[in-house]
Amino acid sequence: MGTLGFYFDQTICTGCRACQVACKDKNNLEIGVLFRNVRTFEVGVFPQTKAYHYSGTCNHCANPACVPVCPVGAMFVAEDGTVQHDDELCIGCLSCIQACPYSVPQYIESLGIVQKCDSCKQLRDNGWNPACVDACPMRALEFGDLDELRAKHGDDVVSELPILPSAGMTEPSLLISCKACAELPDFREKQV
Amino acid sequence: MSDFLKQAAGKMVDRRDFLNAAAVGAVGLAFTSHMGNGLALADMVSAEQTEAEDTNSSVDIAVSDKGEWIPAACWFNCGSQCANYALVVDGEVVRQKTDDTHEDSPDYPQQRGCIRGRSQRKNVFGADRLKYPMKRKHWEPGGGDKSLRGRDEWVRISWDEAFDILSSEIKRVVEKYGNRSILSFGGPCNAINSYGGAVSHYGSTSYGSWQVTPFLMGYMPYSYPVFDRPGYIQWAASYTSRDTINDRLDLRNCETIIMISLNTAWNSAGTNNYHWAQAKKTGAKFIAVDPYYNDLAQAMDADWLPVRPGTDMALLLGVAYTLITEDDPENNPLIDWDFLDRCTLGFDADHMPEGVNPEENFKDYVLGTYDGIPKTPEWASEICGLEPERIRYLAQEMRVDKKVAIVCGWASARTQNSDNLPQMIATIGAMTGHMGKSGHMTGPSHSYFTANGGLSLVNPGSAGLPTISNPVDDAIHLGEVWNAILTHKYNFCGKSLYLPREERDIDIEMIYFYKYMNKLQTAEDMNSGIEAVRQVEFVVTQDYTLSTSAMFSDLVLPTTTEWETIGGFPRNSFPNREVVIAYRNVVPPLFEAKTDQEIDIELCKRLGVDVDSVYPFGPKQQFFNELKSCTVIQDNGVDYGPLITITEEDIESWGVEGTPQEGKISLEEFLKTGYYQVKRSPGDNYGYIAFEAFRNDPEAHPLPSSASGKIEIYSTGLAERINAAGWSEIKPLPTYVPPKNGYECTFENWETKEKGAYPYQIINPHYLRRAHSGFDNVLQLREAFPNPVYLNASDAREKGIEDGDTVLIENMNGKTLRRAVVTERLMPGIVSLPHGSWVDPDPETGIDRGGADNILTSALLQGQGVEAFNSNIVTFEKYAGEPLLPDVERPQRIAVVEGDDE
Repeated sequence: MGTLGFYFDQTICTGCRACQVACKDKNNLEIGVLFRNVRTFEVGVFPQTKAYHYSGTCNHCANPACVPVCPVGAMFVAEDGTVQHDDELCIGCLSCIQACPYSVPQYIESLGIVQKCDSCKQLRDNGWNPACVDACPMRALEFGDLDELRAKHGDDVVSELPILPSAGMTEPSLLISCKACAELPDFREKQV
Repeated sequence: MSDFLKQAAGKMVDRRDFLNAAAVGAVGLAFTSHMGNGLALADMVSAEQTEAEDTNSSVDIAVSDKGEWIPAACWFNCGSQCANYALVVDGEVVRQKTDDTHEDSPDYPQQRGCIRGRSQRKNVFGADRLKYPMKRKHWEPGGGDKSLRGRDEWVRISWDEAFDILSSEIKRVVEKYGNRSILSFGGPCNAINSYGGAVSHYGSTSYGSWQVTPFLMGYMPYSYPVFDRPGYIQWAASYTSRDTINDRLDLRNCETIIMISLNTAWNSAGTNNYHWAQAKKTGAKFIAVDPYYNDLAQAMDADWLPVRPGTDMALLLGVAYTLITEDDPENNPLIDWDFLDRCTLGFDADHMPEGVNPEENFKDYVLGTYDGIPKTPEWASEICGLEPERIRYLAQEMRVDKKVAIVCGWASARTQNSDNLPQMIATIGAMTGHMGKSGHMTGPSHSYFTANGGLSLVNPGSAGLPTISNPVDDAIHLGEVWNAILTHKYNFCGKSLYLPREERDIDIEMIYFYKYMNKLQTAEDMNSGIEAVRQVEFVVTQDYTLSTSAMFSDLVLPTTTEWETIGGFPRNSFPNREVVIAYRNVVPPLFEAKTDQEIDIELCKRLGVDVDSVYPFGPKQQFFNELKSCTVIQDNGVDYGPLITITEEDIESWGVEGTPQEGKISLEEFLKTGYYQVKRSPGDNYGYIAFEAFRNDPEAHPLPSSASGKIEIYSTGLAERINAAGWSEIKPLPTYVPPKNGYECTFENWETKEKGAYPYQIINPHYLRRAHSGFDNVLQLREAFPNPVYLNASDAREKGIEDGDTVLIENMNGKTLRRAVVTERLMPGIVSLPHGSWVDPDPETGIDRGGADNILTSALLQGQGVEAFNSNIVTFEKYAGEPLLPDVERPQRIAVVEGDDE
């Protein structure tokens, strides 16, 4: 099996946040904690305005910044290559939060530990897709072997955008079919 | 157990230990206690705790194979119908999911739902659930101090006392003032209807002028009893979206899709948007006409044509001018002259109805032949704000020799003086020939029939209960209902509506707000509404949360959500065209909640109404009847037959009356998923081309919705009907009439362009956080969609406003606060405030801190009585008072009840 990761089709995303809420529901996340987070951006000036959304979560990086900084080994690379977190070991030191350039790990105040997207490993092990993938009304999310996803969605998929850190930092297992406007540098993040 | 719960309530235990030990959350406890020992143990779990409780609990359970996935209702009238399931493990709902009942493909798509449906468990088990009947502390028979409504304290009472109060007040009001003094907002009011009836209401609600206009000027293909059957009109306008647009597979044949005030990405956020995406994938170009570069436009990468609210008529007249003056059948064919000639009435002097001055034809109005005002793109541009060359571009894109869909939402018709706008849209479609053929269509395409026109292929059934008619014939338009209460006068237009109007005296002394009829929140001019509600002698609401109507009531009756009923089909929704979705019971009633029917039955008893005549059989037989009478299209694509196979054994095991029948799916199989979808593929028998028969032979297939049987660009029938009933006179043909509270009204002096006191237009788009006012208390939805006010960036800059600043928006009707989003996606001069946010009046300042749209909307009716939510004017400034927190950090509206913690 090759590297596993998420594919996001930005060209069709309506920004509805079904993925974000499905994730929240499946993981029973408290308010303020998001394992998957949809953000909205605009570029250009009226009336030449363009807009796009980015649905982001853990990129299960090939070179994850969060793993080596964890002093207790709670953040680790699982046998399938995804980055997993052992809640029992976590001491809540926030090292991973500081290290991740994507701001993925989340501090769960009520538990005193960090948690993050585990790519719904238990669901996947039982033959299901991650909750976010099966939630998308636009079918803009997929999870699987990156080589297969790349073959399916074309060579123009990217792993970085102006809104994201350079892919060279952590080698994210992430493929994006991006909107042309998402490649423009002068973006502004906006609430919806 | 009791000590343990107290500990849990006090958050004394580690969360994971608590959950591991309990194996159920607060939610599970809520109903087990209700079912069990009588003392509502869950009550000890504070509201705050209930919310926090749901977090990080049973992830392991949620992904295990334990429990049962139950088809769970999503019952709001958002404009979608999606599959929704709740995983119930040991009596607790641990997770939700949407459709995975079959493989997913564009032709045969799963019916995936949106964040609202996925948040139903937070809604059903919310900290804000009403637990007991309650009354206003200072209520007395006749009202007591009525000004305390909305500010008084709540006292827990027994159901017995609640029914005593309700029945005695009904009897007292009827005896003293008569049944014409009870105003009833929706619901199963069979008890009251059997007890002499009540005043009802109607209005254009979300439909705007699409509610009436297309049914009079011939832009609907079938015959509809709009003006004959009381109540039908409230549903009929949805059929404008069903019947004027081709089916979703044909949408893929379009080369160009022009969307006018259409954002189904917010209002119908389920799978129907996926159908637009298929058209995009097959190469369709999208153009979006809207004041806001909305998220459907964004996702379709549409070419944006920003146009001011309430000015679509001017825009389309400019388009019509371009079509007429630039059409060249040889070198630049824009107009379908053959279609205009055969299928329409009133386009030019040669096609006018008998007995009408031929100079009043549409073409000469556009050219300005007789009024001296050519409706050029330059003329239109000054009004609508779109550059003249972009108006010409839009006209060229609509050209007759391309396959074009001209699809709209109802939003642009929720404006003043928009009576002829649906007629204008039909006229543009007729001029360009985009109707009645594959790849060509014109009309509304949103809500339940988004991107997928045609009669439903599968239909839910009926419970088979008798219809209890309402003996009172008074029906008040929502746009003047508060005024009617305050002034004791209103305009009666016939119970079936739009008959010649008569002014009637009225003395409303009791208001009954049923569940889902939160009209104090959703009707225009809320401040007058609050004043009106504080004037009458008795106000009662039944709901499951403290809706705005409940907040201002004397008596509040806690009802169940649909998850707590025996099962059924969503009553507030239309069926999805290809799918019928049923729900089953998920949990027993929470706390002391009763179903609406249980409340109605008890009220019947108290009022001496024979229950058997109203409810001759119980909920189980009703549900069975609904299932049994579901119908589905047959293979020939024409006939319908029973959907569900029912056997003698089914009837016996249910303990109901009925006869066996043969359908397409067994009862057991259907109830397992609550789901049946007609499988579609290109070229099947289930396609739909709107107006096809009419286009092919208008003489043999005349349109029943106009007197002439044609599409009436000049419609005497439209003008006569509306002018007889109407609040202002309209013309028989599309003309531009500047709307009350429209763009022109933002100026003190139109000629010099000197701005007035309210220099901005405001719109109230349907917002994905809510279905109208539903769901607004759900925190994870507040987190996902924070409900700002959207301001144009240059407008905001002039006022020194930045993202996150608190903004005071005000006009002649009221003041409200919101946090700003400063955006280039909104036209200058426009303010966008999402629809349905719950009002939160500040007792100190009187300012609404909730961002309620209807604090600012005017109850001002014109023409057919359009509720003009999208033509209002305001001013705004950076708020100098205490800044607003984000909604997710603001307290939920939760009833504090005396006696709650006993």
